[in-house]
Amino acid sequence: MTELEFLKLSKPQKIGYQLLQFFAGLPGRLWGGLKKLGMFFVNLAVKLWDEIKDICLTFKDGDWKTRLSYVVMGFGSAARGQVFRGILFFLFQTVFNMYMIFFGGAYLAKFGTLGTVETTKVNRKTVYGDNSFLILLYGILTIFFIIAAIYTWRVNIKQNKVSEQILKSGKKLKGAKDDIAALADTQFHKTLLSLPMIGIFLFTIVPIIFMVLVAFTNYDYQHQSPAKLFTWVGLENFRTLLSPDSASYGNTFGQVLLWTLIWAFFATFLNYFLGMLVAIMINKKGIKLKKMWRTIFVMTIAIPQFVSLLYVSKMFAADGIINSLLMGWGWIKQPLPFWTNPRWAQVTVIIINIWIGIPYLMLIATGILMNIPADLYESARIDGANAIQTYSRITLPYMLFVTGPYLLTSFIGNINNFNVIFLLTQGKPDVLGNSAGSTDLLITWLYAMTVDNTNYKMAACIGIIVFVVCAVINLVVYNLIPSVKNEEDFQ
Amino acid sequence: MAREKAIPEVDIVVDEEKGVIREVKPVNYRSKSAHERRVNRGIYAILIIMSIIWLCPFVFLVLQSFRCESGGQVNYLIPKQFGFDNYIFLFKESNFPKWYLNTLSIAMVCAVVQTIITLSVSYTLSRMRFRGRKLIMKMILVLGMFPGFLTMICLYFLLKQLGLTQAGAIPGLILIYCASSGMGYYISKGFFDTIPKSLDESARIDGATRFQVFKKIIMPLSKPIVIYTILMAFMGPWGDYVFASYVAFGRNESYNVAVGLYDWVNTNDYQGYFTRFCAGGVLVAIPITALFLALQRYYVEGVTGGAVKG
Amino acid sequence: MASVTLKHIKKIYDNKVTAVQDFNLEIQDKEFVVFVGPSGCGKSTTLRMIAGLEDISEGELFIGDRLVNDVEPKDRDIAMVFQNYALYPHITVYENLAFSLRIRKMNNEEIHRRVCQAADILGITEYLGRKPKALSGGQRQRVAIGRAIVREPQVFLMDEPLSNLDAKLRNQMRAEIILLRKRLDTTFIYVTHDQTEAMTLGDRIVIMKDGFIQQVGTPQEVFETPHNLFVAGFIGSPQMNIFEAELTRDGDVYSVEVQGMKLQLEGDRAVCLRERNVQSQKVLLGVRPEHVSIRFDGGENAVSGTVTVNEMMGSELHLHVAAGAEKNVILRVPTIDLTPEQRASLNAGNQLNFSFASKVVQLFDPETEQSLLWGGAAE
Repeated sequence: MTELEFLKLSKPQKIGYQLLQFFAGLPGRLWGGLKKLGMFFVNLAVKLWDEIKDICLTFKDGDWKTRLSYVVMGFGSAARGQVFRGILFFLFQTVFNMYMIFFGGAYLAKFGTLGTVETTKVNRKTVYGDNSFLILLYGILTIFFIIAAIYTWRVNIKQNKVSEQILKSGKKLKGAKDDIAALADTQFHKTLLSLPMIGIFLFTIVPIIFMVLVAFTNYDYQHQSPAKLFTWVGLENFRTLLSPDSASYGNTFGQVLLWTLIWAFFATFLNYFLGMLVAIMINKKGIKLKKMWRTIFVMTIAIPQFVSLLYVSKMFAADGIINSLLMGWGWIKQPLPFWTNPRWAQVTVIIINIWIGIPYLMLIATGILMNIPADLYESARIDGANAIQTYSRITLPYMLFVTGPYLLTSFIGNINNFNVIFLLTQGKPDVLGNSAGSTDLLITWLYAMTVDNTNYKMAACIGIIVFVVCAVINLVVYNLIPSVKNEEDFQ
Repeated sequence: MAREKAIPEVDIVVDEEKGVIREVKPVNYRSKSAHERRVNRGIYAILIIMSIIWLCPFVFLVLQSFRCESGGQVNYLIPKQFGFDNYIFLFKESNFPKWYLNTLSIAMVCAVVQTIITLSVSYTLSRMRFRGRKLIMKMILVLGMFPGFLTMICLYFLLKQLGLTQAGAIPGLILIYCASSGMGYYISKGFFDTIPKSLDESARIDGATRFQVFKKIIMPLSKPIVIYTILMAFMGPWGDYVFASYVAFGRNESYNVAVGLYDWVNTNDYQGYFTRFCAGGVLVAIPITALFLALQRYYVEGVTGGAVKG
Repeated sequence: MASVTLKHIKKIYDNKVTAVQDFNLEIQDKEFVVFVGPSGCGKSTTLRMIAGLEDISEGELFIGDRLVNDVEPKDRDIAMVFQNYALYPHITVYENLAFSLRIRKMNNEEIHRRVCQAADILGITEYLGRKPKALSGGQRQRVAIGRAIVREPQVFLMDEPLSNLDAKLRNQMRAEIILLRKRLDTTFIYVTHDQTEAMTLGDRIVIMKDGFIQQVGTPQEVFETPHNLFVAGFIGSPQMNIFEAELTRDGDVYSVEVQGMKLQLEGDRAVCLRERNVQSQKVLLGVRPEHVSIRFDGGENAVSGTVTVNEMMGSELHLHVAAGAEKNVILRVPTIDLTPEQRASLNAGNQLNFSFASKVVQLFDPETEQSLLWGGAAE
């Protein structure tokens, strides 16, 4: 179909055609993705091979200083006058060797079994055996340290090669002073990023890898270290969680996942449209006291959620102010089961979340509405559009286009919206079993598993599932909506 | 408004056959403006009702915090006996001042450290091009898709090794909050992206190092985003329950306000502590809200910019 | 003051897009060189490589005798004026001018002297206390130039400095840049997409397209002896007219026939063709609108056509004429010589005859689009 033919189609026809194109192109795209993945690994192998070749060649062609650096890191640098660099390399090597000999090596050796020696009691004295937790954690750290060491070793060799070339061409090498000065200029990004990256590495990456690995062990209340050992069990936990016939977990998981998605959908889109509506009302020409209205709504953002949500949660309790007032006025005889009936609880949670969410979206929508060029509206008026047409043909498409990425992050954020659920219901009322309640999201379920049940292996599994859900949604949306994809190149 | 009234709205009817404008008929603009007024009145009504819904929990909260006759939930709003009993209890008989101080100190340190870290990361990722930049951004994106509490037990253990749990919960919490704050770089990066790159380039040609560019050009231009980042970093710790309770682990003196008040409502005999919770909530909410409303402008700039940029 | 030498400079971006191909140029000390070309031709990229804002993928760049490929921009002793001025919005005009000097830790007296001098040259002394936001476009432009002047740099780089100004201001600033150049007497490299700016400002013009240099030469050279069809079309306004024509060689005599009009080539044009041993072939014939004359007398050895649009420009008429296969031939006709009858005969819809002399035509090969007269394989 040519472009002109496509433009002639009516709107539903266009959508149909695009969907058709999308599905027709799916196999091709999948194949393309696979090919890309394949190419990635091929490239990786090629790169690795090049590196190894370069390492060998450098050894062959290098002088004795370079060759000695293969064993004593930093020797070449120091011998060529870059004493500061040389010392740093050597220091790293020493620390690494000490670490491996006195500490890391032992943990790494047990990494395959996570420990074999049980903790026992001899004559009322506890004799500690292996600590699976520590073996797993330090094992991970040690592996990272080894990778870092190999990389540093490689850098050390490359430096020798480069220095040799520079000296050969008759130029001078950089001294320690130049190195340090570069940290405020050409290497300034290293200065700025090193601390944050160390933080992210130690407090995010390592723990995440740790927990991902825990999902493949039997670490739970029956296998708590240091008293008990835990060990690898492969995909056992995922089988428990996902297989439909394992009556308890599979069933619960399905229900929680479904509710999580329903919740995320309503929490995102209901808030989005209502928030936009409020913004349009406040910003309408002729409405006075705009600032006051805005401030009233913004109050809910300002007040810490644990105060506002806890209080609201109590307001809706059986003995809370709402039920008591309604009963006092004689409107109802029994308290309304806001938190005790599963369906009521789910609806109440969504409604209270509107109370939380509208102000936030109202602010965002206000910002965007003000940015819509006024001539768009003027042009629409001259073309003869009425208020509703202007809204549906200009305001809404503009908003959706501009906030596309926001909607995505917001949906993901709501899947992980711990605070609202936890502070309002703690996942109650309990009906699903396996400590999951009917308002539990995956994330609050995960929390309950960790804190109340010490069922770490299952918590870890759920964590991985949450990640997979988010990643899939992200990938699909990124591939479908071009405006999200190109957001990166906004500069 | 006055000018709009002076020019009556007109309808133009085109006579297709003759190809000329046949009729210019004034529309009764009075009826249109009446319609307008009706719409506005409807909007006012909706806004007023919504304002009541939005504000009444806070009004109730304040009212109940002054109630002296009973500590639980009751079926009336206006206290029968006004007084400061609940507030006096907070300061005389509970650990509330300690919690408050804990939270305040965490918030202040975080406001400084997190701001520095966040701005460093976002500035670097926005302005500099170096190997691994895309990799770092992708990595942070992927890490962000893991639920935050997944790593809780591991973090707890790490802190325990450092002696930063229970009694040492305050520095421990600061460490946790700050360590990963580099991951929240999106909004400030979006801001930095809007500062024209030619300013950096011009300064570099003028002889400035990248550090000087950061200090002399970018930072002075970034006041709104700096204030936004400080505000967010300062407000965050006030609301955190999960990590705070886990790290303090039953040690009352190390609680922050959220943990302390949450426990009053949920685990203790909350009927007795309900009004005290309200009083505590009021004391927490007032300074935070005041600060927030004072700096509202920067917050609005931050969230709208962030939402548009994604 | 220094020369700038580019040897085989190449720019390839990460995504494998080649922005600049094998750029060779020697810029003399105190020369004013203009890079001109349509957007995306690589002119700005080349300038930014000279400034050190982009890495050089291949080749060598010398400022003076120094190889500067790996020298940071701050150490190249250059100054640059940006298209959007890049004034620091948070400090005053005075501080904007002083910025680079303060970074270099110059003493206060000297800074003050230089700032005042630059402000005086540019006539912005009274705005020194203002912030850039409070200035008009032309004033901002002056401040941007002033910021470059105070440095007293070896090379002065300007990246489309006038393109954000309105037409009137642009003409005025163009004249001021010419004066400024006389006063500063240093090496200038100037980037623009506007051929008028290029022609009026440059000692030499470098015309670029798709990353390749098309021609380097003085304004007169590129105007009179364009090396290819692109240069011929790019330089001069309105654009050169192009006709399909037939070149015939008869011994040493060359003639060209276009729509029934036959011209014999003489002088250097004939010599060039002979030297290159050009045979009879189809050619593209170019002739500038101002070189086409109307033949009110009749249609003998002339091309006839129909006027489609008649634009009155004041001192001259721009006639758009459809003539045979060429739908839009443009003629520039000075109004001063026209009688009222003649003028009336030029209204849209009327027929007219026109011709041109052989000494003004350009000949291009239809395949390669290279000139058959000038330049050649060496380029």
